[in-house]
Amino acid sequence: MSQEEISLSPSHHRFQKRGFSCEKAIKYFFASNAGLTIVILVLITIFLLKEGLGFFPGYQRELEVYRIAGLEFVDISRKNLTAQEQLTSVLNRAYYAEINGQAAREMKRSKEASALFNAYSEQTGPTRDLVVNNSQAASDPKSEMLAILKTNFEKQKVKALASLPATPHLEKNERADLIESIRTRAVDSTEDPPLVAALAAELAAAQEKYAVPLQGMRATIDSFSSAGSELSSLVSEMTESVTATKEKIQGADILEKDRKTLLAAAASAKDLAEREKLTSEATASLAEKPDVEGPIQRLMERRADCVKAHQALQKTTGGILAQLPENLRQPDARRLLKVARATWPLFIADLEKTPAAIHAWKYDAPVPLTAAISSFLTGKDWVTGGEWQDFYGILPLAAGSLMIALVALIIAIPSGIGAAVYVNQFASPREQGIIKPVIEFIQAIPSVVLGFIGILVFGTLLRDISTWDSLQWIPGFPIEERLNIFTAGCLLALMSIPTIFSLSEDAINNVPSAYAEASEALGASRFQTTFRVVVPAAFSGVLAAVLLGLGRVIGETMVVLLVAGNRIKIPDFSSGLSTFFQPCHTLTGIIAQELGEVPLGSVHYRALFVVGILLFAIVLAINATAHHFVNKMKH
Amino acid sequence: MTSAIQIQNVSFAYNTKQVLHDVSMDIPAHQITAFIGPSGCGKSTLLRCFNRINDRIPGARITAGSIKVHDIDINRSDIDLQELRRQIGMVFQKYNPFAKSIYENVAFSLRVAGQNKRATLDEIVENALKSAALWDEVKDRLHASAFGLSGGQQQRLCIARAIANQPEILLMDEPCAALDPLATLKIEELLMELKKKYTIVIVTHNMAQATRCSDKTAFMYLGKLIEFGPTMQLFENPKDPQTEAYVTGTFG
Amino acid sequence: MFDPKKLIRKGLPKGHFKDAAVRSLLAGVTYLVVIIAALLFGKIIVDGAPVLFKAEAPFVDFEFLTAKNETLHVFDDALGNRHQLPAAAYSAYLDKHPGEGIFNEQTFSYSGGGIAGPIVGTALLTIGSMILALFFGICAAIYLSEYAKQSPFIHAVRLAILNLAGIPSIVFGLFGFSVFVLAVPIITSTPADRSLLTFPLFFGNYFVSFQGWNSSLMAGCATLACMILPVIITASEESLRAVPQGFRDASLAMGATRWQTIRKCVLPFSLPGILTSSLLAITRVAGETAPIMFTAAVAAKDDLPWQGLKSPFDLLSSQVQALPYHIYTLAARIPSSEYTQRAQYGSVFVFLVLVAFLSAGSMILRSKLRAKLKW
Repeated sequence: MSQEEISLSPSHHRFQKRGFSCEKAIKYFFASNAGLTIVILVLITIFLLKEGLGFFPGYQRELEVYRIAGLEFVDISRKNLTAQEQLTSVLNRAYYAEINGQAAREMKRSKEASALFNAYSEQTGPTRDLVVNNSQAASDPKSEMLAILKTNFEKQKVKALASLPATPHLEKNERADLIESIRTRAVDSTEDPPLVAALAAELAAAQEKYAVPLQGMRATIDSFSSAGSELSSLVSEMTESVTATKEKIQGADILEKDRKTLLAAAASAKDLAEREKLTSEATASLAEKPDVEGPIQRLMERRADCVKAHQALQKTTGGILAQLPENLRQPDARRLLKVARATWPLFIADLEKTPAAIHAWKYDAPVPLTAAISSFLTGKDWVTGGEWQDFYGILPLAAGSLMIALVALIIAIPSGIGAAVYVNQFASPREQGIIKPVIEFIQAIPSVVLGFIGILVFGTLLRDISTWDSLQWIPGFPIEERLNIFTAGCLLALMSIPTIFSLSEDAINNVPSAYAEASEALGASRFQTTFRVVVPAAFSGVLAAVLLGLGRVIGETMVVLLVAGNRIKIPDFSSGLSTFFQPCHTLTGIIAQELGEVPLGSVHYRALFVVGILLFAIVLAINATAHHFVNKMKH
Repeated sequence: MTSAIQIQNVSFAYNTKQVLHDVSMDIPAHQITAFIGPSGCGKSTLLRCFNRINDRIPGARITAGSIKVHDIDINRSDIDLQELRRQIGMVFQKYNPFAKSIYENVAFSLRVAGQNKRATLDEIVENALKSAALWDEVKDRLHASAFGLSGGQQQRLCIARAIANQPEILLMDEPCAALDPLATLKIEELLMELKKKYTIVIVTHNMAQATRCSDKTAFMYLGKLIEFGPTMQLFENPKDPQTEAYVTGTFG
Repeated sequence: MFDPKKLIRKGLPKGHFKDAAVRSLLAGVTYLVVIIAALLFGKIIVDGAPVLFKAEAPFVDFEFLTAKNETLHVFDDALGNRHQLPAAAYSAYLDKHPGEGIFNEQTFSYSGGGIAGPIVGTALLTIGSMILALFFGICAAIYLSEYAKQSPFIHAVRLAILNLAGIPSIVFGLFGFSVFVLAVPIITSTPADRSLLTFPLFFGNYFVSFQGWNSSLMAGCATLACMILPVIITASEESLRAVPQGFRDASLAMGATRWQTIRKCVLPFSLPGILTSSLLAITRVAGETAPIMFTAAVAAKDDLPWQGLKSPFDLLSSQVQALPYHIYTLAARIPSSEYTQRAQYGSVFVFLVLVAFLSAGSMILRSKLRAKLKW
């Protein structure tokens, strides 16, 4: 007799349960709640993929249009033009750095004087405007009102004069004179105080003086700059025609899409009449195939001109390098000149390759899907909403995220682990009672508050500190942008310190005390025990802590959105350590910034979801590795 | 017979909890002395006073009396603790090798003492492992993790680690409590070998073990030393009724 | 051989200075972190406290907490007196003083009035998401700690919890946007074009349409609940497991069913622990910005959430202001000047005080609980 027959038989033992019990229902209810977590994870994956995967075919079509319309052809020349412009700007910066470096004293003095005057004008501005406007408008100059306005102005003036900025490079009597001249200034005077004007003139004279020996360099730069003019006019001419073609193709694409929607609607319509109506509408909207051949052929005819312009540019460029001065005196100028010299051969090599590229270019070469994928993963540009062509290259964002994470970890790893070792091994219980809650509280601070602190307090503070004369030896000081990689990295370090601290502390705490006891019994001191036995034994756990901290840093959004500066560009690594003081954009920040503004279902919208998928994958991989180490620690 | 450790009227407390009361005895050199007694009688605490490892525990202190090792009071404030512990090795109840290789485990005490010369280390490690009767079993995998060894091997590694420094005295806190009978037997054989060179103090739960290996035995109960004498005498003719009750198995 | 003299150390212990140096380096690093944290909060307290507190009784500026958020107008009247008025008061002023010119006018968005809207919005979001997360989270934890045995299902659940806990909040934002805003089903008489799937109901002229809830309070609550769910489950399971096994065994041995055991002998003892750890989860829910940016939050809203509602359902399906999003707007979208500082630092101060209360409360309750419950 089988099992089932027993349970079906009417005479059963009284311990035996019958049918579907209430208990079972309760159990399944709870089980389904636990299953909810799986459902959520699956939903996240499905919906990210659903929205994201459409990106690649869409991007492929965009790249195809880019090629068919001839934009790609123009970009071959445009790329060289941009490179030439950038080189010009580097040379120009070197030129001015040389002059201004020599005239540094005059420059500082002039700047300080005008800063002082500007601070005064800013504070007294509104009250002064009132006095001036009313004395012109009011017919009765003796009116009571004007008197009140004037007293207000005087009050404000006293206040402003009491809080002027410091001027370390002005002589004491110069400053006193300047303040005196401001005090005695007529209300409606529009001229600068004499010292400000004098210092400005002094600066101009100095600049002129130092420019004299550099005349040769100036001429060289100018000739290089004008060498690109032929190519430039050619490019702008071609730009117009290809943009028109692109618009036509895009218009046809949209019509085609509408038609397909109509046809689909027709297929699913129940009513025969409605179906016919929809079908006829669809046929009517059949787009005429845009004429691609004509404009492309015309574009191809310009090939020879393009090649000629490039050859001319190459000829001029080749000679320029020899004409530049051997060396410059100012360190900044020297560095820039070095950069120019280093990039020069690359530029020339590019120019040499260009004619071949121009001839080899084919408008009807197919764009495979892999091209879209590789353009996304290795593209150096993330350009959206532009008039020319949208590119979705992840590199600038990934580079930004990585640089920020690097700064954050460089700061957070030593301080987080150091604090954990200190608190666990050396701190008295009383110190622990202070340090632990404070660090725990840092963890509870919402990230948007940290971002706020970064934007309003820390960024400004850092920029002010970077102008101190005693800190000028630090590369990148004074910093140009208040919001940059370093600022964001510091704040993220503050965010990840609690994670690294508490998990490392746990790991160190979990090292069996028998280890420490044995070590001391063998004659090791407290310090040797800590650093040779306890910390190495906790290594896996500490590593996991660092990885989880990294996961937190990479996934953090609000701080980087507010503080990283949001410039979508691969940081310029040629500037050495001052690279860390450039603004950047991040994987998380781009989603937060752009998702609210893109049309649903567009390629751009889908690109953001692909970034999300990438982020999801990176963070999951980091966490999985971390948990691997945690499990290793347990065994 | 010279005495290695002289204990004079020692009392000991964890914070306010008095654990040892007025214990006095002389531990002879180059013999094995066993401490027996029921759990919580203070035998381990007393053992842990000899190398001042109790200093690790906050609030633990000797409240009266003195412990002298070769006439030096080890509770003086200017004792070099590290040197003291190098001279008085210790083996714990649960084998606890570090998460390092077998070689590094043995070399640890030398490295922390500043000895980093490869040749010297090699020689000392080999000797220590040989003395601990472990060399033949591990000589091919010196640089493998110590956790790959069996329990008995790990405990013998801990003994090798403790004698690498050539200590004067070896303290053993129930060294066989976590081992099976075969491994225990090996350790006991090792003890007989080691006593030629070292003074050994062993805490044990196992009265049979005390009779097998020790020369002298101390019976402790409730923090007091009840009886101390040659092992044979203590087990066969105990003077104190409490000792008799314990060794005959009436309690404990 | 044993040399007793070696035991006596001469002078300081070996390596004393090195040890002291390392120790003070570690202490320095630790206290640097503590001090930097203290300085940052100090700055916010110094700049923010004057907004909320005032010198005379009742010492708290309730207006800042209860007034709506408005645009701030700054201008001089003809006498050169500077006025700072929120939009409503500004138009009242213009009505009262017709014909008198105003000068040097500047406007600052979001900087006038108080922050009642954001506070209420954050409260609604927090309450809604915590109700959802606590219900599902506690139920899931009961299953994991009381019913679960080793099985592939449990393994999958644990893996899912682990992974969910690590997902960046912005990815939850994307998820909430694509699921709750755009895809979940809704009953409506006019399904949208972009609906994923539409089928008619049997009564009336209604359809079930998978078109999402739009950016709304309920979409935000659902997103936040998904985000916090793993935290709640883990904390609840820990509390449930802290109840000694003996309680369950005794109850089951007396013939109680599993559910009776859970209800009478396990839940009552673990609830305090669960609620305490939920306090910490509240600080996280209240502080998150990225998940609600696209699912619930709006920068400016004239009415408080319950004003101008036709049905209670409207409350759930309307957008709300939220304190973290408000702070984001204040920090990112308006320039900092002396007139915006009140709104900026005031909001952050209020928010920080809120978070501090919640997390301090959680810490204190937790230590009390530990002292009280010793089995």
